[in-house]
Amino acid sequence: MTIVLAQVTKAYGTRPPAVRRLDLEIQDGEFFTLLGPSGCGKTTTLRMIAGLEAVSSGTIAIHGRDVTHVPARHRDVAMVFQGYALYPHMSVHDNLALNLQIKRIPRPEIASRVQLVAGMLGLDGLLDRKPGELSGGQRQRVALGRAIIRRPNVFLMDEPLSNLDLKLREETRTEIKKLHEQLRITTVYVTHDQSEALVLSDRIGIMRDGELLQLGGPHEIYARPADVFVARFIGSPSINLLSARLRRDGPELVVEVPPAAGAAGGLRRALSAAMARAIAPDTDPNRLTLGVRPEDFVVHRTAAPGRLPAQVDFIQPMGAVSFAILRLPDAATVIQERDHLIAAIGPDDDFPRGTPVWLEARGERICLFHADTGRSLLRGEP
Amino acid sequence: MATTAPHRDPRVTGAARAGRWSVNAFTLALLGLWLFPVYWIFLTSFKTPREINAPTPTFLFDPTLENYRDLFTRFAFGRALTNSFVIVGATTFLVMVLALLAAYALGRLPVPGEKHLALWILSLRFLPPVAVIIPFYLTWQRLHLLDTHAGLILIYVAFNLPFAIWMLRGFLVEVPRELDEAATLDGLSHLQIIRRIILPVIAPGAAVTAIFTFTFAWNEYLMALILTSVDATTVPLTVSKFIQAYSILWGDVGAAAAIQLLPILVVVFLLQKQIMRGITLGAVK
Repeated sequence: MTIVLAQVTKAYGTRPPAVRRLDLEIQDGEFFTLLGPSGCGKTTTLRMIAGLEAVSSGTIAIHGRDVTHVPARHRDVAMVFQGYALYPHMSVHDNLALNLQIKRIPRPEIASRVQLVAGMLGLDGLLDRKPGELSGGQRQRVALGRAIIRRPNVFLMDEPLSNLDLKLREETRTEIKKLHEQLRITTVYVTHDQSEALVLSDRIGIMRDGELLQLGGPHEIYARPADVFVARFIGSPSINLLSARLRRDGPELVVEVPPAAGAAGGLRRALSAAMARAIAPDTDPNRLTLGVRPEDFVVHRTAAPGRLPAQVDFIQPMGAVSFAILRLPDAATVIQERDHLIAAIGPDDDFPRGTPVWLEARGERICLFHADTGRSLLRGEP
Repeated sequence: MATTAPHRDPRVTGAARAGRWSVNAFTLALLGLWLFPVYWIFLTSFKTPREINAPTPTFLFDPTLENYRDLFTRFAFGRALTNSFVIVGATTFLVMVLALLAAYALGRLPVPGEKHLALWILSLRFLPPVAVIIPFYLTWQRLHLLDTHAGLILIYVAFNLPFAIWMLRGFLVEVPRELDEAATLDGLSHLQIIRRIILPVIAPGAAVTAIFTFTFAWNEYLMALILTSVDATTVPLTVSKFIQAYSILWGDVGAAAAIQLLPILVVVFLLQKQIMRGITLGAVK
């Protein structure tokens, strides 16, 4: 079932609108995630799709049918709430079966569907319990079960994992992914956790201040963020942002981060032909922001042309990878948004505190942004 | 829980223990003060006039059911009892139904000026019945509602509804809205949500509200006195009938009062757990 939002706006009183002229098309069977910081309008959007919130203007269509003014209970959408919202006075069985009972589905079929869902989610032994007697993870599975037992048009999830501890969150994440592979029900998922979005989604929509900033697959959003905000929001640890400028060097276009006053070297990196083509000709070459993901820095122990000198502050081991926290002598003028750089290194690399290192930016994933607007300069690139 | 097991807690000093005991003693004294009249009522209801009028009060005597027999044969107490049950039962039922609907609307639906409305509803409760009973009498006279069940039910519902709405609204706003929303998406209508979700969840609170309403109507005297005469008299009115021109029939007073007390005592004893939960609902999460 496709979901189409056209120019959807939600305004509360005189405050700036929570959602502003949103256009969105979610494909049949797609796992679509709305990602953004709190207050960005993602939950409001989800609630409007559900019908729990009226739209101020614009239209919403589910499977070609305009549901803008259809009451929530007639939209046939199922939702998993952040707080699960299980009915505390009903057994797990009744929690699962309520919708089917309301639809007057015959008892034998209800029984078989409850059995099926309970089996899928490992709730077999718990059907007689009340939600109060379940663990957090079990409650979460009941909430999922209550949604999938209905075989709804659309499946909505509002931060369903945020109340679980880390390990359980990862397990449930996998389970949700698996369920979606099995059932292929169009799913709209809301989260502020970028890693959840990357793992689960076919496509992600990133929102801020009620507007959709970027729409794309997980890889695309990670590699080609539309602006500085998206670049910083996606990826952990977040992207390094440096003040940079563009120089023409013979046939090549080169991005460079000047060294500290009086120091030698500085980061230099030639752009690929495709990247160079993507940059608009009227770009101000002296006002750029260069974005480099931590794993796109190569940390060298020796100086060479084009490498940025830095000093190791400390190492954060993360198991499979470690992150080096690096200081620059003139950090304040070069690094944006924070006072250090972060570079991924091998888990066994040993850099004692104070080690001088030289950084090289590699790969095609470097990003260039307009220093004032924050918009990506590489948008046109295929 | 140091307060419930003072002797096991080594940190409790002698002074603190003494303080606690004096508080306990005070509570007991207060309880005695409250309960003694109740005890005396029951005692009196089983006494003969001779025992009742004895110069020194007696505690041990041959109990008699004469007073109760007298009540039902001479004073048609059965009818008052029936009236009371019908009127109070209907009142409680109607109040609960209407108050639930109103509380749901106030707590959950977009009602314009909801906050003012809620306070205004409660303010109706501030109204002293004495102030309005004469206009009500005249109105009821016109409407031919004097001395009828319906007349008394109507005014009891009117007077109890504000408080019941206020109480139920208080319990209802403690219920997470997500629960209603989940139910909405499960396909339930507003009425189904009230009946299948809200009411069971706030059941303890609803029980307390019902008991308050029941108790108020069951004990109500003034409005019943003014608005009824023969056919719809209630139990509290009958109790007062034994205070006669030249004597007070203490035995009958005792028996009638005992019977009047009984349903409330029974209800409170049976539901004390729910009442406590209802009173503290929302206080402890």
